[in-house]
Amino acid sequence: MYPAEIKEYHKPDSVEQVLELIANHEEGESLLLAGGQSAMQAIKSRMLRPQCIIDLQGLQELKTINDESETLKIGAMVRYCELVKSSSLNNNFTGLKDAAAHVGDRQVRNRGTIGGSVCWNYAAACTPTAVLALDGNMHLISSDGEIKVICADDFFLGPLDTAKSESDILISVSFKKSKTRSGSAYKKWGLVKDALPVVGIAAFVKLDSNGSCCEARIALTGMGVGAQRAAAGETPLLGSYGDPQSIEAATENICANIDAPTDLSATSDYRHQLIRSIGAEVILTAFKRAST
Amino acid sequence: MTSAKDPNSIEWLGERLARKEDLRLVTGKGKYLADIVIPGTLHAVFVRSEYAHANITGIDLSEAESMPGVVAIYTGENIKDRINPMPQAIVQPNLPAKYPTFWPLAVGKVTFHGEPVALIIARDKYIAEDASELVLVDYEELPVVLDPEKALSRNSTVVHEKDGTNEIFSMTFTGGENEEAQNSNEAEVNAIFESAPVVVKERFKTHRTGLTPMEPRGVLCDWNESDGLTAYITTQRPHIDRLALSDILEISAEKVRVIAPRDQGGGFGVKAPFYRENIIIAYAAKSLGKPVRWIESRYESLMNVGQERDQINDMEIAADLEGNLLALRNKGIADNGVGTTGVYWGFVMPFLGAIELPNAYKWPKAHISLKVATTNKACLTPSRAFGHFPTRFALERCIDMVAHKIGMEASELRRNNLVDALPYTSVTNEYYDSGDFLKVWDTLVEKADISAFRKRQSEALNDNRYIGIGFGCGVELSGVASDLLVPMENQPGYGAATVRLDPRGKVQVFGGDAPGGQGHETTTAQVVASEFGIDPAAVVVTTGDTGTTPFGSGSIGARAGSYFVSAVADACRELKEKITRILAYDLKIEARTEHFEFTDGEVIYIGDRSKKSSFVSIVERIIMFPINLPENEVGGLDATAFFEAAKPMICFNADCCVVEVNIETGDFEILEWMTTEDVGNVINPMVVDGQMHGAIVQGISNAVFEEFVYDDQGQQLTADFENYKLATAADVPNIDIHYATTPCPHTPLGTRGIGEGRPSSIPGALTNAVCDALTPLKIEITELPLRPNSIWEKIQQAKQP
Amino acid sequence: MKNIKLTVNGEKFEEQIDNRLLLVDFLRDNLSLTGTHVGCTYEGVCGACTIHLDGDAVKSCMLLAVQADGHNVTTIEGLSADGGLTNLQQAFNDEHGLQCGYCTPGILMNMADFLTENPNPSEEQIRHGLIGNLCRCTGYVHIVRAVKKAAKMLKDSAHEDRT
Repeated sequence: MYPAEIKEYHKPDSVEQVLELIANHEEGESLLLAGGQSAMQAIKSRMLRPQCIIDLQGLQELKTINDESETLKIGAMVRYCELVKSSSLNNNFTGLKDAAAHVGDRQVRNRGTIGGSVCWNYAAACTPTAVLALDGNMHLISSDGEIKVICADDFFLGPLDTAKSESDILISVSFKKSKTRSGSAYKKWGLVKDALPVVGIAAFVKLDSNGSCCEARIALTGMGVGAQRAAAGETPLLGSYGDPQSIEAATENICANIDAPTDLSATSDYRHQLIRSIGAEVILTAFKRAST
Repeated sequence: MTSAKDPNSIEWLGERLARKEDLRLVTGKGKYLADIVIPGTLHAVFVRSEYAHANITGIDLSEAESMPGVVAIYTGENIKDRINPMPQAIVQPNLPAKYPTFWPLAVGKVTFHGEPVALIIARDKYIAEDASELVLVDYEELPVVLDPEKALSRNSTVVHEKDGTNEIFSMTFTGGENEEAQNSNEAEVNAIFESAPVVVKERFKTHRTGLTPMEPRGVLCDWNESDGLTAYITTQRPHIDRLALSDILEISAEKVRVIAPRDQGGGFGVKAPFYRENIIIAYAAKSLGKPVRWIESRYESLMNVGQERDQINDMEIAADLEGNLLALRNKGIADNGVGTTGVYWGFVMPFLGAIELPNAYKWPKAHISLKVATTNKACLTPSRAFGHFPTRFALERCIDMVAHKIGMEASELRRNNLVDALPYTSVTNEYYDSGDFLKVWDTLVEKADISAFRKRQSEALNDNRYIGIGFGCGVELSGVASDLLVPMENQPGYGAATVRLDPRGKVQVFGGDAPGGQGHETTTAQVVASEFGIDPAAVVVTTGDTGTTPFGSGSIGARAGSYFVSAVADACRELKEKITRILAYDLKIEARTEHFEFTDGEVIYIGDRSKKSSFVSIVERIIMFPINLPENEVGGLDATAFFEAAKPMICFNADCCVVEVNIETGDFEILEWMTTEDVGNVINPMVVDGQMHGAIVQGISNAVFEEFVYDDQGQQLTADFENYKLATAADVPNIDIHYATTPCPHTPLGTRGIGEGRPSSIPGALTNAVCDALTPLKIEITELPLRPNSIWEKIQQAKQP
Repeated sequence: MKNIKLTVNGEKFEEQIDNRLLLVDFLRDNLSLTGTHVGCTYEGVCGACTIHLDGDAVKSCMLLAVQADGHNVTTIEGLSADGGLTNLQQAFNDEHGLQCGYCTPGILMNMADFLTENPNPSEEQIRHGLIGNLCRCTGYVHIVRAVKKAAKMLKDSAHEDRT
């Protein structure tokens, strides 16, 4: 209920200072705190007992969205509420907006960040799933000064596990802008509205000049393993125009290739049915958004 | 607070007066238990059992005790010779049951996951939690008892060994007092079933769920030798808690004062039992001579309290082809949990649920019996709709199934069988005093417009949309009469209130019950204002302090609108008698109370309206200038009245909802919710509306979203709000209320108490609507919770050839 | 221990506190601002502790008090600048938008922020905006009605200001 003892608290105002603080602590001692909407749950329940908290709220440089010509670069400390309001996400990246708009609740969205969410990679979380479908790149700096860019496929390793090492800080998440038409969407189902997803699905499709799908990415959450690619669902979409048969083939393929768990929230079979139902809706929306 | 009065209204009754208590609550100035500060207070944290059933083989306190800031640590072993064990008569029903012996901290073994094992007292709550992690308890695990049916079998492990059985309570509720009469009644019922043209027989299961006040429990105790114990407790029944603390800790009763804070963050029955935490915190404060405070965490709360409704009901209904109900047969099995909670012990809820099972229907014959099993789970604690949520779900579902079998509208079948002449005594010997069930029902059905709905439904079906309508209703107790409360809880039913006038014509009202948000300060002020013809702003209400209020059995069972306000009105009338006696004497007229009118701040002689006094002047004259009084009259204006109706009283509600089911996922949306209720005369419609809204949404949330889950080792898996899901604003519908009132003839104001009937009519109405929507698939749902997942499974089964 | 300086309800404070002290406990125990309530354990789901941090509605149980160093905090006690009732508070009283009142301060703080972002909200938007606040008494019906009324009152008073 109350955090265990926290010996040090720092609020550096530059990335360099963060890296220095990381370097000055033994492994497992320090914790980078972004919005804290998940981390504080773990700290209060004493699942995490950091000796030293490095609060990233002072890093103004991580709080901006840069809409560059070829890429969209979102600072790690950009909050969900800012993602929802940003016009830079309006076209190709609506899927990320869908996810951000329904994370937790208003108060969570006022504080929680994209960087915090992708680094935490909770077993059932919206943002990593959308980032995975949108093929985001995580830009990290290590305490030894090394700059790393890790693509989403390599970044999300499993629940509460990512390719970010403890000596890294996430600077931004970037997305390549598609030269041809593309669209994305995300939707989740939970027992109550906007709860952690029992099933969450994100889809991204890219269309060639005649409107047929030349690239598709689908990501899933709620299967107990964190954000995961559902590549089996992508192939049936390639070359299609988003017709019901292709979409059904996509969702059926996902179900055939995904082990869905049974837990307090849903049975395995029901999760599969949600994949069919929400998956179809999400893929269709992505196609629609790509064609308009 | 505004006292804007409708200029056309003579009285304050029936006004939508904005609540007096809101001004402090919307500005953050409420005083809840955790807001009360006594300098030097120590903080308590419980170490709770990690196992559902295990022997305690050792507790190592050495590390925890040596932590700086830790003041004391208690365990079962070091308190058991100093504190009287439960049960104690004051918190034990007059019902034949096996009452387990227990202390506030586990002695010898633990019997559920979350049972208090040790108590840490420290200077700071953070340090207390640190120390609690250092208490090392060695457990030797025992086989767990989790399934109530298996618990009742002869070879089951027994939770409380001294009883030799897990059957804590059993009873037959029909046929009379003795076994022979009950058996012959059962034989008659069996005979009806054998020859009945229509019989429906089903097993209904309701899950473990209940209510969770937003403010968890808490206790703050202060002790000094001269005044004794002052205990601030989040409680609905401070006077009972006081007597229990006195008996258990052997502190003479005049030295125990219990104060339920003026502001309590909801109760809903959860704060009605006498809990073991109260005992040990009071004991710690007394033995340390320092104030000690415990504030429950949500985790502790979800592990320990608010768990109810956990039942299996094997129900059968016999009917004829015209839709007349012929007989009801029900065998209930309730999962009691450990049964170590004062006042209710778990089984009192299923007990009342069985009594109230017949509901508003005429049953020529019935056989109703109940067995309650002790298990290694948290004890059942009361939650609004005390006991009858499970049985009413089963009954309302079963009635729809009878209607489906006959091919009749379920609403019509209900109407045909509603009790149509009151008073009425039910097959379980429950007395229904007054009201008009048909009026309530017809009001609802008219709004629902079944024939229009059926048209809409078939059109929707053509578009492959599945919509359905469902009904449910409920007779609820309007207050609990002594006739029932004495045997059930060993407590009186009467309402008590003290009304005290001051020389400025202002009024203080004192009540021994302890509300938690129902608006007593406002509705009571409206009653007083109406009686004296003054502004409600002049009335101040004090509740919950045993040092200042008359004895009351607590804020339970819809006692406010029935018993408490009636006592308030009676006390006002007693004072009006005295005021008018003296005023008549002063005015030198021969007149009695009924010849005077109390209105707009004046007391006026009706026979000659120029003969009058301002209310303030006559009150001041009687209190401050008691000279030249009539013979045998003394000054002062203060009255305590006790109200008890000659017979128990009831009120009646009916609910209807329309849902749309997604045939692909089993997900459903509530499109409309309509409700009608006979609440008697209404004191404040806005407050009554709020009670209905809250209860209906609690019913929806209980039926659909909430469920306490234990794993097969008895580990509680749902002790936080991430896993125990409450409905949010985005999950529930708006509610359309229609009143169909009949004044209660047995209360001075014609009012009835509401608040306890729903949410029990809700799960039936909702599930009936879902099944109605799925009529083409002939799906009958018999289990709660009503989850999209399980509906989808039913749809899949129905689609199998 | 750390020294923090912050503004709470317009008043400046400087305090020595433990790093691990939660902001909600700092407000309640150190500053005696007990209008901010606690209704859950570690999960931060109930919303009763909602305050404004630099104007944004956030849950004070999910922040360390040290994180408020240098920031501007408003609690329910400071929601009304002039000590009277704001339109939102008045609307909750008028429409019976509260019963036990325990969740109410959090709801008011969240909805005050919500209405600045959504001056003309639909019922659906209000209900969605309320997801972070659990209420057990009201069934939310009167809360939604009160927020609607507050939006109208705010619009009307803005209109009066202009004319």
